[in-house]
Amino acid sequence: MPFACLFVPDFSVQAVIRIEPDLRSKPVGVFEGAPPLTKVFGANAAAKALGVEIGMTKLQAEACSGVVWRWRSHSQEATAHAALLDCAWTISPRVQDTTGNKEEPPDTVALDIAGCERLFGSPEKIAGDLKRVAGEVGFDANVAVAGNPEAAICAARGFPGVTLVPQGEESAQLGVLPLSSLKIPAELLETLERWGIHTCAEFAALHEVAVVERLGQEGRRWQLLARGADPRPLIAKEPPVEFEECTELESPVELLDPLMFIFNRLLDQLCVRLRMHVLATNTVKITLTLQRNDSRKKEPLLHIRTLRLPVPAKESKLLLKLLQLDLQAHPPGSPVTAVRILAVPAHLRTRQMGLFLPLSPEPERLEVTLARIQSTVGEGRVGMPVLLDTHRPNAFRQNHFVLSESSMGISAGERRPTAALRIYRPPLPAAVELHDAKPSAISCDGVRREVLTLSGPWRTKGDWWSETVWARDEWDVLIRALRPRYQADPHGVAKKEETALYRIYRDLRSRRWFVEGIYD
Amino acid sequence: MYVELHLCSAFSFLEGASLPEELVAEAARLGMPAGALLDRDGVYGAPRFHVAAKKAGIRAHVGAEISVADLGTQAGVPSWMPNKIPPRPVRLALLVENRTGYRNLCRLITRYKLREEGKGTGTATMDEIAGHAEGLVCLTGGEEGPLAAFLAHGGYEEARRNIKRIAGIFGKRNVYIEVQRHFDAAEESRNQAAVRIGESLNLPLLATNGVRYAHAKDREILDVFSCIRNHCQLETAGRFLERNDERCLRSEMEMSRLFSDLPRAISNTGELSARLAYTLADLGYEFPSYPVPPGDTMDSFLRKRTEEGLRQRYAAKGDEELLARAERQVRRELKLIEKLKLAGYFLIVWDIVRFCREQKILVQGRGSAANSAVCYSLGITAVDPVGMELLFERFLSEERGEWPDIDLDLPSGDQREKAIQYIYRRYGQLGAAMTANVITYRGRSAAREVGKVLGFDRESLDQLSSLVNTWGWRGPTDTSEHQFHQAGFDLGHPRVRKYRELCERIQDLPRHLGQHSGGMVVCQGQLDSVVPLEPATMPGRVVVQWDKDDCADMGIVKVDLLGLGMMSVLEECLELVPKHYGKPLDLAQLPADDPLVYETLRRADTVGMFQVESRAQMSSLPRNAPEKFYDLVVQVAIIRPGPIVGNMMHPYMRRRQGREPVTYAHPLLEPILKRTLGVPLFQEQLLRMAMIAANFTGGEAEDLRRAMGFKRSGSRMREIEVKLRQGMEQNGIGKETQEEIIMQITSFAEYGFPESHAASFALIAYASAYLKCHYLGAFTAALLNNQPMGFYSAATIVKDAQRHSLRVKPIDARRSEWLCTIEHAPGKDGKDLPCLRIGLRYVRGLRQAAAEAILRERQVHPFVSIEDLVQRVPELQKSELVTLGAIGALNFLGERVHRRTALWQVERAARSAGPLLKSIPESWESSPLQPMTDDERLVADFHGSGITAGPHPMAYRRAALESMKVKRACDLHRIADGAYTRVAGCVIARQRPGTAKGFVFLSLEDETGIANVIVRPDLYEKHRITINRERFLYVEGILQNQDNVISVKASRVAPVAISAAEMQSHDFH
Repeated sequence: MPFACLFVPDFSVQAVIRIEPDLRSKPVGVFEGAPPLTKVFGANAAAKALGVEIGMTKLQAEACSGVVWRWRSHSQEATAHAALLDCAWTISPRVQDTTGNKEEPPDTVALDIAGCERLFGSPEKIAGDLKRVAGEVGFDANVAVAGNPEAAICAARGFPGVTLVPQGEESAQLGVLPLSSLKIPAELLETLERWGIHTCAEFAALHEVAVVERLGQEGRRWQLLARGADPRPLIAKEPPVEFEECTELESPVELLDPLMFIFNRLLDQLCVRLRMHVLATNTVKITLTLQRNDSRKKEPLLHIRTLRLPVPAKESKLLLKLLQLDLQAHPPGSPVTAVRILAVPAHLRTRQMGLFLPLSPEPERLEVTLARIQSTVGEGRVGMPVLLDTHRPNAFRQNHFVLSESSMGISAGERRPTAALRIYRPPLPAAVELHDAKPSAISCDGVRREVLTLSGPWRTKGDWWSETVWARDEWDVLIRALRPRYQADPHGVAKKEETALYRIYRDLRSRRWFVEGIYD
Repeated sequence: MYVELHLCSAFSFLEGASLPEELVAEAARLGMPAGALLDRDGVYGAPRFHVAAKKAGIRAHVGAEISVADLGTQAGVPSWMPNKIPPRPVRLALLVENRTGYRNLCRLITRYKLREEGKGTGTATMDEIAGHAEGLVCLTGGEEGPLAAFLAHGGYEEARRNIKRIAGIFGKRNVYIEVQRHFDAAEESRNQAAVRIGESLNLPLLATNGVRYAHAKDREILDVFSCIRNHCQLETAGRFLERNDERCLRSEMEMSRLFSDLPRAISNTGELSARLAYTLADLGYEFPSYPVPPGDTMDSFLRKRTEEGLRQRYAAKGDEELLARAERQVRRELKLIEKLKLAGYFLIVWDIVRFCREQKILVQGRGSAANSAVCYSLGITAVDPVGMELLFERFLSEERGEWPDIDLDLPSGDQREKAIQYIYRRYGQLGAAMTANVITYRGRSAAREVGKVLGFDRESLDQLSSLVNTWGWRGPTDTSEHQFHQAGFDLGHPRVRKYRELCERIQDLPRHLGQHSGGMVVCQGQLDSVVPLEPATMPGRVVVQWDKDDCADMGIVKVDLLGLGMMSVLEECLELVPKHYGKPLDLAQLPADDPLVYETLRRADTVGMFQVESRAQMSSLPRNAPEKFYDLVVQVAIIRPGPIVGNMMHPYMRRRQGREPVTYAHPLLEPILKRTLGVPLFQEQLLRMAMIAANFTGGEAEDLRRAMGFKRSGSRMREIEVKLRQGMEQNGIGKETQEEIIMQITSFAEYGFPESHAASFALIAYASAYLKCHYLGAFTAALLNNQPMGFYSAATIVKDAQRHSLRVKPIDARRSEWLCTIEHAPGKDGKDLPCLRIGLRYVRGLRQAAAEAILRERQVHPFVSIEDLVQRVPELQKSELVTLGAIGALNFLGERVHRRTALWQVERAARSAGPLLKSIPESWESSPLQPMTDDERLVADFHGSGITAGPHPMAYRRAALESMKVKRACDLHRIADGAYTRVAGCVIARQRPGTAKGFVFLSLEDETGIANVIVRPDLYEKHRITINRERFLYVEGILQNQDNVISVKASRVAPVAISAAEMQSHDFH
C-alpha cells in the first residue's frame, strides 16, 4: 500500500476556518463574485443543514439565519493548498498535486509513501500522522491509503476520516461508492446511468473488453479507477515555475535603508538561481508582511509591489535600484515583519539591434529613469497616454512606456485638429458671471476677466447607469490672458500676450465652473 | 412658427426610443401644429403617427430616411479616435409633398428592400432615387446625412459639388440644407459649412432637431437600444452611445433661441410644412376587382354564384319557409354589397375558398362573416345565419364605412401555405402581401436584453426571465419588484434599481418586424405604391410594413388565413376514418345531435376536443348540460374572460338548471334573449337590444358596441347613453327598465362574444367531439400528429385515449411510421380492433431524414437485429440510436432484447471498429445489464419521447397511495360533497386565470382520470415553489361536488415521490 491521499472536504470553507479557528463549530458559508452578482460558493455541513445551497444568491443565502459568511479568497486557498502540500511533503518527497483546473478547489493531494515505513511506521500510522499534521495546519481532512494513487484519491474523497484500502481489496472497498465520487465526465456518467450502473462495483463488474468496445480506452480507464486498479503512476509535482525567496525578520524593520540590505541579499540569491538556469526575470513581485496594530485580526497585512520590466533582467543591482525607487514612492505603512520576493523567469534578450537604427536609450537605463520620474510624479502619471472610447472629456489611460523597436511612422490619413489645448491638471476652479445664460466674465486665481467672445456650450453627458454619472457644458472663451506669457513676434521680439483662448466648463452636477485649459 | 420635420420613432427599430404616439403627445404639448416622421428605411410608424396626430389635431407629414449605397458612409467618429463604429451608409431624409411623392417613396423602399440579403441591410442607389424623386423633398440631414458625410470625407468643395448634384435630382426648390444643434462642436463646424453651401447654391436652410426620442430622459432607452443593436454592454459601448440628451422634441421658443442667428431656418419649417400637403388620409388604396366573364358585372356574377349556393344549401334542408327567409336575406345583403361596391371582395374570398375545395383543403370562414347569408351561400362559412337568426349588421353595415372582416380557418402547416401561395400567384408579388406583426419588448425579452446590456450574467438573467409573470392574474406579489427579489437581485443596489426601471420603460417598444400568422392584404394594381413591402424571413413571403391594426386603421382590406390545428386534425381524420374503419366521412353531413356526443359532453369527458377541453370548460359542461347544437354554441362562448367578468355565466347557468326564473327586462327583449334564457351573452344580442328597444339602426348599434368596447371613451359613451334613453323613451319603456337595459348593455358590451364566431367554433367542436366518440383511434392519431395544439400534452392525450379503451402501441423501429398510425389487431371478441401506433416523430432528437431512412430500408427487408439496423441505416446518429434503444423502440430486434440490451448493443454497434477490425465478425454476447425497473422505463419514455404507452406512473404507486388513503380520480364522484379527502397525481395543468382573483387551479392526473384542485391565494403563496415546480402533488382538502362538477379545495399541498419522469404540465393559460 504505497500511496496515500489527503482530501479536505468543503475546502473553501476550511481554508477560511484554518485562519479563523473560532468558526470551527459554527455554520460557515463562503460567497464569491462582485456585488450584485454574489453567489454562495461553499458551505460547511452545519450551514447546509440551515438551508444554504451552493449557487444561491447573496440575498437568498442571507435569508438563512445563523450562518457566518466570509468571502472566497483565492490567495487564502492557495496558501491553504500550499499548506496541504506541505503536510504531504512532511512525509514524502513524491507528492502529486491533483488540482485539475482553476475552478476546482485545490482540495486533494496524493503522495507516494513507498519506503516511508522505516521512517514513519506502518501505513496506518502514516495515515494517522497525515490527519494529525493536517489538523495542525487547521484542516479536518480525510486520509486514505491504498495500493495506487487513484484508489487512494477515490477512497479519501468517498469515505470520511482515515481509510485503509488493503492491497487486492480496492475493488471491493471502493465498490460501494457512487460513480459521482470518481468525477467521471458528464457524458460518460449519463451513458452509465442509462445502463443502470450507479456504483463503482457495478461499473467494475462489466467485462473489460465489452467496456472498451463501447466506451473506448477512456471508458476502460474509468473502469480501472472504479476497480481501484488504475495503473497510472503518481506524477510528482514539478519544481515551482516561479522563483521565490523569502525571509522572516527577527524584529520589524521600519526604515527603507536596512530593508535594502535584505533585498540585496535575497535578490542576489534569486539572480544566482536564475543565472544557473540561464534565465532572467521580467516580473518581480515583492510581498512585505507588515506589522498589524490591531492584533485581533488574523489576516496578514501585506504590502505588495510588482515591478514589470520591459526587457528581462538578471542584474541584481538594477533590480535593487528599481525596487528602491518603487518603495520610495510607495513606502510600506507599517514596520515590515516578513519579505517575500518572487521572480517570474524569462529568457534573456538575445536580439541584436540594427546597426543603422538611431541610437536609443538602453532599455534598462530608460526603465530606471521612468521609475525615477514616477517616484516623483506619482503612479499612473508616467507612460504613454491612450485615448479611451467614450464621450467623457479627457478620458485616457496611461499605458506603460515601451521603447518601440521600429522607427515610428506618422500615420497618414485624416487631419488632426490643429489647435492644441494645454490642459490644466487639475482644472482651475473659477467663478463665472452669466449674461443671457452665457459666460460674460470669469474670475480665476483672483483675477477677473471679461469674456470678449465665446462659442459653446458643447454639452456631454454620460455613464447615467452608474454612480460615476457625469455631465458638463464646455465653452471656448476669448479673454485677456489669465497668466500673460511672452511670445516671439515674427522679428524675434518678445511680446506680451494680450488675449488668450481658454476652455472653461461647468460641471452640471456640482454646478461648479472650471478653467480646463488654454489653446495654443 | 416651428415645425419639427425630422422625427424618428421607435419604429426606426433600435434607432429611436419613443413611440409615434409619444412624439405626437409631446409635439401637441409644445403647441406644434404639425410634425414629420422619418423612420429608417420605412414608414413603419406612419399609421400610428397619423392616427395619433389626427386625434391631437396635428398634421402628420410622411417621410423616411433612406439608406443610400453610393453616397459613401456616414461621417461618424474620426478613425484616429478610439471607437468601434462600423461604416454605415448615408441616410437621405425624404419628405412626401404629394401623393405622387408617397407612391414614389413606397416604391423606392420596396425596390431596395426586396433585394436586401440580411434584415435591414438594403440600400438604394442614386439612380433609383433619381427615378423616384418626384413629389419628394430632400433634407441634407444631420450627422447621419449626406452633407456631414461629404464634409467629413471630402471637405467643403466635395460637399458643395455633391449637394449641387442632389439639388439637380430633386430640383432646387426641393432640397433643404438641414441644420441641427445638439451642443456639439463638430456639428457646429458642419453647420457653418452648410450655411455657406446653402448661400452659394441658393438653397434654403431648415432647422430640425433630428429627434430620436420625445423627452430628454429617453436618451437612456436609446443608449440601451444602441447596445442591443451593437451587441455590447453600456460599460464598453463607448461612442456607440449618445453624446448627450439633446435629440428630444424642443419647443418653438427653444429652437428660435438656438437658431437666433439663422431665423430663416426656423421660419422655413412652417413654410415647408404648409407645402407638404400629403397625409395618409389620401392613401390611394383600391381593393382589386375580380375578373368576370364578358357580359357580367361583378355584382351580377356575385348574385349568380350566391343564388347557386343558396339553392344548393337551403334546398337540401327541405324547409320552404327557411328558404324564403334566406332568399329575402340574401337579396337584402346583395343590395347592400352592391351599394357599398364590395362585390369584388366577396368574390375574391369565394375564389380562395373555391381553390381550397378544389385542392381538398379543409376551409371554414369564421368571425362576423358567419352572420352573412351571402357568405354561407358562397360556401365561405358553414353556419346557417338565417336558421340561427344571426345578425347581419354585426358583419356589415352601411353606416360603419369600413371593410368587412372575413377570417378563414385552414389546416395549419402545408395546406395553409398552399392557399397563401395561391394568393401570391393570383395577385402577383407586388399585389399581395402578408401583414406584419410588430414584435415589441415584453417582460421576458426586456429583462433579458436590458440585463445583458447592463452586464448581468446569463445565469441570473435566466433565473429572472423564468420568474417574469405570464400568468393571467397579477396578484400583489406579481410585481417586477417581487420578481427581482425572488431572482436574488438586491433592489437596494442602484444598478439593479436602474435595471428594473429600464425594463419597465422599454415595455411595448418595437423590437423588430415579424410576419403576422395569417393576415394578407391585396390591392388593385400595385400594393407597393400604397405601403412599402419587404421580404419576410420565410422564403417566398413578402410583408407590408404595417401590422394588421395599422392596415385596418388605414382602410386596407385584409383576409385572415388562419392555421387551426383542429382543422388539420379533422382533415387527417377524413383520410384515416374511411381507410381504417371502412366508413365514409363527410364533415358537412355528420349526424346532427348525436346522443353519444352530448352525453360525453355532459360528462365533461372532453380531453382533446376543440374549445371545450379546458378545465374551465370541463367544470361548466355538467352545469350547462348541452343537449343540442345551440347549447354548444353557448358553451363555446360562455367560458371566456368576458362573460365571466361581466357576471353572465352564473345567471345563465342558474336559469339553465331551473334554479332561477327566466325573466326579461322588457317584453320587447324576449325574442332577442329567449335563446339565452334572458341573459345577454352575444354581441349580436347587444346590437339587437339597442335596435329594438331604442330604435338604433344596425350601424348605430355597431357603433355603440365599438364605443363601449376595448378602447372605451367616456364622452362617447355618454353621448350614446343619451341616445339610448331617447330611443327607449320613444318606445315607452319606463325609467327603471331603461336603467336595467342600459346596465345590461354597458356591463357586457366589452366582453360579449360574437354569436357567429361561437357558432363557427361550435361546428368544429361538434365535429371533434363526434370523431372522438366514434373514431377514437383515428382522432387520437390525428391529434398526436398535429401537436403541439390544444390544452393538454401528448402524454395526457394518450392516457385519456387508453382510459377510453384505445390500445396504444409503443414506438417500434420495425412498425412505427413517422406519424402516428392506425394498426389492426383482433380484439377480445376476435373482431378487428383499430389500435394506435405511436410514430417516430415522438422520438426526441430523431431527424425526419433518419426516420425516413429506417422506413426505406425496412421496406427492402425487415431488420433482423440492432447491428443490421445500424449497418443498413448509416444516417442514424449514435444519440438517435441511444434514444431509440432507451424508449424500447429496438426491443423487438432480436431475442430476449430488453431496453438495456438494446442500449448495450447500440453502444457497440455505433462505435466504429476501424479498418483493421472491420472484417472480424462481431460476437453478440448477451448484455450483462439488468432490465430497467418500472420507474426507469417511465423516466426513459418521458425523457426520450414525452409519452408512454405503458401504465400511468401513478399506477405503480397505487398500493402505497391507498395505504395513505389517497383516492383515485375516478372515485371522487362517489364521495359526498363536503367530505375531507386526499388526492394525488401528476400535475398536468396549472392555471391562475385573470378572472379568479388569485385562486390557482391544478389538474392532477392519475391512472383513472383527472382530479381538479383549487388552491386559495394564501396557500399558494405559502407553497409557491412546491406548487409551481413539483411534478407530482399530494393534496388534502374538502371535496366539492356541485352539479357533478367535482373539485378538491386544498387545505394542504405537499410533494409526493412518484417518479423522476419528466412529465410536462401546461401552465398558466
